[in-house]
Amino acid sequence: MRGIDVFSRPLEYLTPLGEQVGEIIREWVEKEVIPYRRGFDEDYLEHRLIHPPFKKLLGEYGIQRILFPEDLGGWGLGHSEYLCVAAFRMFEEIARADSGMAVAFGVVFWPLVLICCEPHVNRRLCEEFAPMFMTNEPVFSCLAMTEPQGGSDIENVEVLKGSTIRTVAVRDGDEWVINGHKLWPTNTGGVADLMGVVCTTNPGSRNPEDIAIIFVPADAPGVTQGPAYEKAGMAADKNGDIWFENVRVPLWYRACGPGDDAKYYGEIVSMGNMGSIAFAVGVMLNIYEKLQEYVNRKTYRGMPLKENDAVAGVLADFATTIEAVRIIGYQCARMCDRQDLYGPRWSPEVVARARAHRYFAADRALEAIGKVMNLMECFGPDRDWDVEKHWRDIKMVQLWLGGKQLSQMEVARWFFECETL
Amino acid sequence: MNDLELFPYPKNRLQKTDLDLAASLQDLVQKEIVDKRLELKEDYQGLLRPNLDKLLVEVGLQRMFWPEDLGGEEHNGPEAAYTVAAALEQVGRADTGLAYLAAHNLALQAALAMRENLDREACARFAPLFCDGRGPMIVSFILPVFGEDEKAPAWRGKSFQVKARSASGGWVLEGKGIRPTCSGADATLFGAWCAVEGEEAPAFILVPGDAPGLSRGPEFKKTGLAASRNADLDLSGVEVPAENCLFRGDLEYRRLLSWFYLGITATTVGGLLAAYQILKEWGDNRVIKGTGNIFKENPLTGALMGEIAQDISMSRLLAYDLAGMLADPSSFGDAGSDMVYTSALMIVHQVLATAERALHRTMELMASAGYAKEWQLERYWRDLKTVQCYVGSHELAKHDFSRWFYGARTL
Repeated sequence: MRGIDVFSRPLEYLTPLGEQVGEIIREWVEKEVIPYRRGFDEDYLEHRLIHPPFKKLLGEYGIQRILFPEDLGGWGLGHSEYLCVAAFRMFEEIARADSGMAVAFGVVFWPLVLICCEPHVNRRLCEEFAPMFMTNEPVFSCLAMTEPQGGSDIENVEVLKGSTIRTVAVRDGDEWVINGHKLWPTNTGGVADLMGVVCTTNPGSRNPEDIAIIFVPADAPGVTQGPAYEKAGMAADKNGDIWFENVRVPLWYRACGPGDDAKYYGEIVSMGNMGSIAFAVGVMLNIYEKLQEYVNRKTYRGMPLKENDAVAGVLADFATTIEAVRIIGYQCARMCDRQDLYGPRWSPEVVARARAHRYFAADRALEAIGKVMNLMECFGPDRDWDVEKHWRDIKMVQLWLGGKQLSQMEVARWFFECETL
Repeated sequence: MNDLELFPYPKNRLQKTDLDLAASLQDLVQKEIVDKRLELKEDYQGLLRPNLDKLLVEVGLQRMFWPEDLGGEEHNGPEAAYTVAAALEQVGRADTGLAYLAAHNLALQAALAMRENLDREACARFAPLFCDGRGPMIVSFILPVFGEDEKAPAWRGKSFQVKARSASGGWVLEGKGIRPTCSGADATLFGAWCAVEGEEAPAFILVPGDAPGLSRGPEFKKTGLAASRNADLDLSGVEVPAENCLFRGDLEYRRLLSWFYLGITATTVGGLLAAYQILKEWGDNRVIKGTGNIFKENPLTGALMGEIAQDISMSRLLAYDLAGMLADPSSFGDAGSDMVYTSALMIVHQVLATAERALHRTMELMASAGYAKEWQLERYWRDLKTVQCYVGSHELAKHDFSRWFYGARTL
């Protein structure tokens, strides 16, 4: 029976490091995640099943160090030209087992991109936070963006320019004093050790220089994390409220500085979209495995189910979706890596392309998985077949990062030069 | 105006008693389920089971069709199709799982006690179970499934899960790893469409949940329908009296399914109406793109909301169209006729597919709130996807459509 490696990948983009880590992760998911994942839904608050495999991957294997410079104990991926392609491979391998784990893993690095990646390495912050990650214990980051009042307004930087942000950072001597309330960041609900917090230094301002992304250690006085929300899926990705009440951090904890925080925020969006496609691919690869088992085991009129023409039509559509989405995903990753060819990954052009790739991928994946569930009849919603879990999870991939409509606006704005959306 | 009345349906064809029932169910489920669901979530013991008891026993949905002298309401003319639609969309609005269970119960009643086809002996035998007020009858069906050739011969491309043989004046049933349509863990009565040893005609046989030889596996986890605690079954030499065989022919079986599909369609419409109410609240209050921009007033989100309303409205009309077909056999033919059955199958698939799309879009509009359990939307999405899968593969259903419309014979 053919396995998941039959699907196309643009081989010319792949890197030895990415492939090596990809193989390590594949072995890890087979041993440490897949045998336990059916219990994850009920583990969403405690993470008794979810934490141990993370400890191995992030801490003991040391993958949480990869972005930091080598001289600080990291692997130096922050200044490579293959970070995103390597990340894509890692994300799809993890998502094959559990896309909630994949996003929790990816967000460990998300705010760190702002300080570890060329051309905006913040050496002082790297030195400050690298020791936190050079441990065998897993360390989690989060990027606190969404606020109660505006949802995706925060992600809509190009139009709203931070004017709706209500988490306020006020300069007091050589410190920022932060007050505000954030919702939904991945790796909250008590998980995060380090937070990147999107603030305004001047409430209501539309000046990009007033958008500040400030790092806040989770144990700073005044930071409170609420319990994890209960969601349709993605139990491994804890989301909760964070309250900041007169939280004080040094001025130099600001990621990139006035103007640059807003500018490089686009990079976060591009990479988040790229990662989301990898999650969709990983999920579909696992469903392909499950479906192979199903249509070979089940019989219809004396033949394996797959030999029926009508069923084969559904199978072909599913395989085609994997093929197309995976190629788009690797292309998106390559675009984010090769800024010399495609432009800066924070540029509106790349942000729009990545948004387009992501929402196309998520829409197609969701539609294809829905059809697979239907084909499997009463076994489609059965947790023992794992397909339904992926269906629930991938819906969330489709909805996050501002949701589909915001993506559509960004895509239309770029491709059709809309000015007032 | 009651916001559910915004979606038109052929109110003129409903009797006053139907409208009264719908109104009282609307009040009841609002108070007992909708207003409590944030607190009780999808808790079976705390929320769902007590309300199933209330709906089936106290409200009396499980007595609806049975003759009066047997303790029923004798609302058993074909026009009861409208009652079923009006009742189940209200229950489905509160909890699609509960409505799905009630749809099983009502379909079985329709098969047994419909005025035109009333099986007096069977009614006398089974009505007391439904009418004596002892408790809810949780009815489950064991229907042929797709891709289980090894178990038994096929019926229209699907394989029987149970084999029956006639023995000493009764029936002996065998089957392993049977997946019922609902409530394998709780059902008090199973209706099984069985292959019959040595005979071509299948048999629909009722199996009490406590029949010796019937064993239930552990409840398994699934996407949705918390009210249906499902488990696989084994039937090992289960003996039931000859009278438990309700019918042998395709006509009666299709009649049962047509009514079942009406119940599921109405249940689905109920889920859509719930989604509408949740989205309405979101659209009225959410502000996007800064102060003063109400969500529903944005051209893109407003258009999508409109499209969702269109999907709901069309689904409701289709549900009542199906009720209308079942309610008027003189114009459309018997509920078990090929035409009515095929139409019922098409409508249930169409409405479930439309619901899937509408719920996907509603979730998209609500972004994170769409998948947060706190907003109560995602449960309808999970429930209706589960129902869709249990109704069966669309690929096989399309073969049924082709049989009727194109005369395909070997599909």
